[in-house]
Amino acid sequence: MKALSAINSTNPCLPNTHFLKVPIFHPFFKFNPFSQPYNVHGHAANRAHKLPFTISCKLKSSRDVENKGKSVAQKIVLSEASPPPLTEDDVTNGDTGNVPQSSKKKKGGPFGLLNMLRRKTLQILSSLPLAIADMFAAAALMALGTFIEQGEAPDFYIQKYPEDNPVFGFFTWRWILALGFDHMFSSPVFLGVLALLGASLMACTYTTQLPLITVSRRWSFLHSAEAIRKQEFSESLPRASIQDVGTILMGAGYEVFLKGPSLYAFKGLAGRLAPVGVHIALLLVMAGGTVSAAGSFRGSVTVPQGLNFVVGDVLVPSGFLSSPTEAFNTEIHVNRFYMDYYESGEVSQFYTDLSLRNMDGKEVMRKTISVNDPLRYGGITIYQTDWSISALQILKDNEGPYNLAMAPLQINGDKKLYGTFLPVGDINSPDVKGISMLARDLQSIVLYDKEGKFVGVRRPNSKLPINIDGSEILIVDAIGSSGLDLKTDPGVPVVYAGFGALMITTCISYLSHSQIWALQDGTTVFIGGKTNRAKMEFPEEMNLLLDKVPEIVESTLPKQADSISG
Amino acid sequence: MVFSTLEHILTHISFSVVSILISIHWITLLLGNEIIGLYNLLKKGMIITFFCITGLLVTRWIFSGHLPFSNLYESLIFLSWTFSIFYMVLCFKKKKNYYFNTIITPSILFTQGFATSGLLTEMHESFKLVPALQSHWLMMHVSMMILGYTTLLCGSLISVAILVITFQELIQIFGKSKTFFFFYESFSFAEIKYMNMNDKKNILQQTPFPFYSSYRNYYRYQFIQQLDRWGYRTISLGFIFLTIGNISGAVWANEAWGSYWNWDPKETWAFITWTIFAIYLHTRKNKKLEYRNSSIVASMGFLIIWICYLGINLLGLGLHSYGSFTPN
Repeated sequence: MKALSAINSTNPCLPNTHFLKVPIFHPFFKFNPFSQPYNVHGHAANRAHKLPFTISCKLKSSRDVENKGKSVAQKIVLSEASPPPLTEDDVTNGDTGNVPQSSKKKKGGPFGLLNMLRRKTLQILSSLPLAIADMFAAAALMALGTFIEQGEAPDFYIQKYPEDNPVFGFFTWRWILALGFDHMFSSPVFLGVLALLGASLMACTYTTQLPLITVSRRWSFLHSAEAIRKQEFSESLPRASIQDVGTILMGAGYEVFLKGPSLYAFKGLAGRLAPVGVHIALLLVMAGGTVSAAGSFRGSVTVPQGLNFVVGDVLVPSGFLSSPTEAFNTEIHVNRFYMDYYESGEVSQFYTDLSLRNMDGKEVMRKTISVNDPLRYGGITIYQTDWSISALQILKDNEGPYNLAMAPLQINGDKKLYGTFLPVGDINSPDVKGISMLARDLQSIVLYDKEGKFVGVRRPNSKLPINIDGSEILIVDAIGSSGLDLKTDPGVPVVYAGFGALMITTCISYLSHSQIWALQDGTTVFIGGKTNRAKMEFPEEMNLLLDKVPEIVESTLPKQADSISG
Repeated sequence: MVFSTLEHILTHISFSVVSILISIHWITLLLGNEIIGLYNLLKKGMIITFFCITGLLVTRWIFSGHLPFSNLYESLIFLSWTFSIFYMVLCFKKKKNYYFNTIITPSILFTQGFATSGLLTEMHESFKLVPALQSHWLMMHVSMMILGYTTLLCGSLISVAILVITFQELIQIFGKSKTFFFFYESFSFAEIKYMNMNDKKNILQQTPFPFYSSYRNYYRYQFIQQLDRWGYRTISLGFIFLTIGNISGAVWANEAWGSYWNWDPKETWAFITWTIFAIYLHTRKNKKLEYRNSSIVASMGFLIIWICYLGINLLGLGLHSYGSFTPN
């Protein structure tokens, strides 16, 4: 089982070591098929290593018919475009950031101490077990936050989690109130865990992932068959030529680099780099979330149809960075609130017709908002979130109209119920009786007489009077009020940028970074390769590709060379 | 009621076909023979199931006029539909892995069974969309979430399988004792499973007895490794869907509810699920945390998906209440 774990794990530090040893490939691409001899012997490598070249599309192997074409030609352009500026001479200079870092360490004095402290902190923060433990902690706290009722008064917790009967034998209201779990998602404990997560994200991105970019952008050759055989996938092809292997790999979408008898090819480099992007995107989201928390305003208001309010009166700052803008002086007038219904009578949508007026009373904007279709003006967003019935307009014996205020009634379940009461007879008597009117929505009003008996149902605007206890009641209109949520959130653009980046980089991360090394040793080609994610598919793909490599019979060697140059 | 009759027929056909498929899977698993006819039967059966469920979804779509994502029943049907898509994709792949399908088939049966069980009967008639659901984001968010759940469930079930197979070693670590005899019995099943893999290679039969155990160990190790790698790929894919689903949900919430994140229980649990699978992906990066640890994490993820998908709805908490058990 130990062997399994060794194969499974990808150790990001591993490439570092052999990159040091391997002479870095000169990125000077010259297509020069004639000057390049068809090397099959190992000793020619020394002579040839100043003349590196990549294989062109003209290179055709005898059996490889499918792999010719445009994609191959494009690949060459690609590989020419991205050579890292490294030559054999500046191995020491170009060798990542490690070298200057170690020289810094040697400096003494307070700076050295500070530096060491900084390195130590980074090392601790970027450790994987810490990050994993931290994620577990965050998940556990969030789960706890959904089980403990949030935002209730302290008395609620004292009753629900009494000390004489603690949950799990220890968990009482003292814990909840001391740790701030009654408002979990803004409690210092939870925010601390998130901050630690953010810090460890940053440290990991800085110390592990960013260096990975410079390392993995480089290509390296393996010069011994032994090293190639050690790879996760390895194969030896007798009587094959490395050029053929290169062409086939190129046709399969690999970037191929050839130097003498050695070949290096890779594919899906983006898949190795994308996790860096994922981490940066997450940091963006976290930063945006912080801006949201510190710099936004929110507020909600229930406005009866026909009334108005000023934005600045409703909005409440949520953090220390919240600062009001010019748009806060806007006055909003609710022109109309109405609902659409399905044929079955269920509400299909709520609509509020809003007019925005500036300081001078001039209308600057008018829009009918609904759920899923908010209004945006000057950084302020207005959402349709709730509704209620504010009043009933009735005619009693053709007198009026009277406005009767509706009050919400407490019933079980979420369904809303509003009621009002029209006194009949002597209003000053201690037990005043009257007509009760109940409404679930703006469609129909149920009327009861003063004995509490059901009389009938009327629709507003139906112009159909109803006779109750000798008086004629006509319901003219039911006036709704619109429940609006208002907010300004400067964090949204940042968060959305993070979201977009997160989606793209997560998708790219699925790509597997495959690396292939090959070495021509006599007539045998040793091929080894590894990949970081698609470990199941990679050997299959390799076997398929290597099946296409043509076998060379000694006598046909000159012909092969001809076809290369042609 | 043409609609309800049609729906009834389609549900029953798909349900019975899936139960037949499961028995075939068990038979092939236990006998370990590669009977081509049986595999073709499996494939055809799943195609029938797939078209039944597709028909079910399409009829609901036509008759209700909106995408069939509006309540728990519909989302469960959609879940089993994505499971069957998964099965089909694997069937038509060049390299077959039937052990993967063995995991998927019971999943279809369970989701389908749960959806059509008496528990949710009031929900069978389709409902009108409540105002908050009338958005183009509905398709993006729900389909991505369900796709993510399906993929992650498959992946984490593979991890559960790894744990079951390697449980023997865990016990060996704790010391052999008679009390574990029962467990050994149950492991014999797992052994049969990986021995079937051996049969496929046709090596086992040719091997003389003394080498049997070492070969067995080798294939056992290979089998676990294969499972592990498949699980990893599946979970990575599911993680993409889950990420997109969560993000589209957040963007939608910013349109409908006034904030991209409300710490609503469903949201929170979706985030917990995401965190758990992020932990899974990170455990793979560490050499010390070998496959067993990552399998444990993925198995936790399996439970958490169900809490997120059903548990929160069961409690009917928060703004996602239209997914709950009681019809609104």
